[in-house]
Amino acid sequence: MKPFDEVRESLLRAGVAPRHVRRFIGELQDHFADLTAEERHRGRSREDAQSAALSRLGRPDVLAKALLGQRHFQSWCGRAPGVAFGVMPLAALGAIYLIACSVLWFGWRVFLPGTETPFIPVNGFAAIYFGAGRFLYYAAPILVGWSVGLIAARQRSTARWPILAFAFAAFLGSVAQVHADGPVFASGAGSISMSLNLGDPFSSLRHSCILFAIAALPYLAWLVHKAYAASATSGREVD
Amino acid sequence: MAGKSTNPNFMNGVPELLILRLLQQQEMYGYEIVQAIRSQSNEVITVGEGVVYPVLHALEREKALKSRRKTINGRSRVYYSMTRSGSRRLAGLCSDWTNLAEAIHTMLTGAEHIEAV
Repeated sequence: MKPFDEVRESLLRAGVAPRHVRRFIGELQDHFADLTAEERHRGRSREDAQSAALSRLGRPDVLAKALLGQRHFQSWCGRAPGVAFGVMPLAALGAIYLIACSVLWFGWRVFLPGTETPFIPVNGFAAIYFGAGRFLYYAAPILVGWSVGLIAARQRSTARWPILAFAFAAFLGSVAQVHADGPVFASGAGSISMSLNLGDPFSSLRHSCILFAIAALPYLAWLVHKAYAASATSGREVD
Repeated sequence: MAGKSTNPNFMNGVPELLILRLLQQQEMYGYEIVQAIRSQSNEVITVGEGVVYPVLHALEREKALKSRRKTINGRSRVYYSMTRSGSRRLAGLCSDWTNLAEAIHTMLTGAEHIEAV
């Protein structure tokens, strides 16, 4: 375990923003190197010099407490986890759906003018264009879930918050539906809308579970890796 | 931490004052600041050396300090320097501490006078 891992972990778990933690740890490492060099200059061995340097810097709990005492270093995930893992993913999902619908509407006007619906087979560049929009639409809950997982892992958030966010995104992803209404006038443009429709509950549940599994998988893998690393470290310390 | 520790209740605001005073003269990095505090206070004031960084970061956030990364002799370090806002803050802190020190001095010398009587 590196000298400041304990400080880093306790700061991140307490909700301090990763950029502040990174900077603090970086400066502590620089300071540690200077102190070690100073102690070596006094004739101490490397191990003794490092030990003295750590002692002069302060105990890990004291170092962590010094930064924790200042609330403005807290991240949104620490200050308001409900906003970070509830409102923000919802807003992100809405934004991606809006982009996907805009892509569909624009493509309908450009590639399929005068047709009743954009959901018809197309070829060439139009197929690539509509395929990109479709990918964005179907991948939205997964992209949001992966982003939430990344943020939660970086900030060592309590697992319940990202898991709630995965479930929320997966549910919305499974019940969201896109509708295209044909133009009222032959020369006019049609409209695209979205709705939440439970439809067949069993099918929606199955879709939700699949989305949840894909969205949560990287985060769950990280949790398992973290637990395995922690148990390996504690095992080495016991030996 | 070497030496005796200073009563923390009497240290409120002291790290800021000392850091701003040191940075008034020249830009410094964390290790330099701590060594300067130790040597210039004849090791009367000793702080956990790593604790200086949250104070520096808070002062920077409050625009009393600014920082830049500089590489000297192959070592990259974050150097801090004082801003105009920091100068004003230092003047205020100096005034507060001078008043406090005078008040304590007056009380202590007053106590001696009473004992003498």
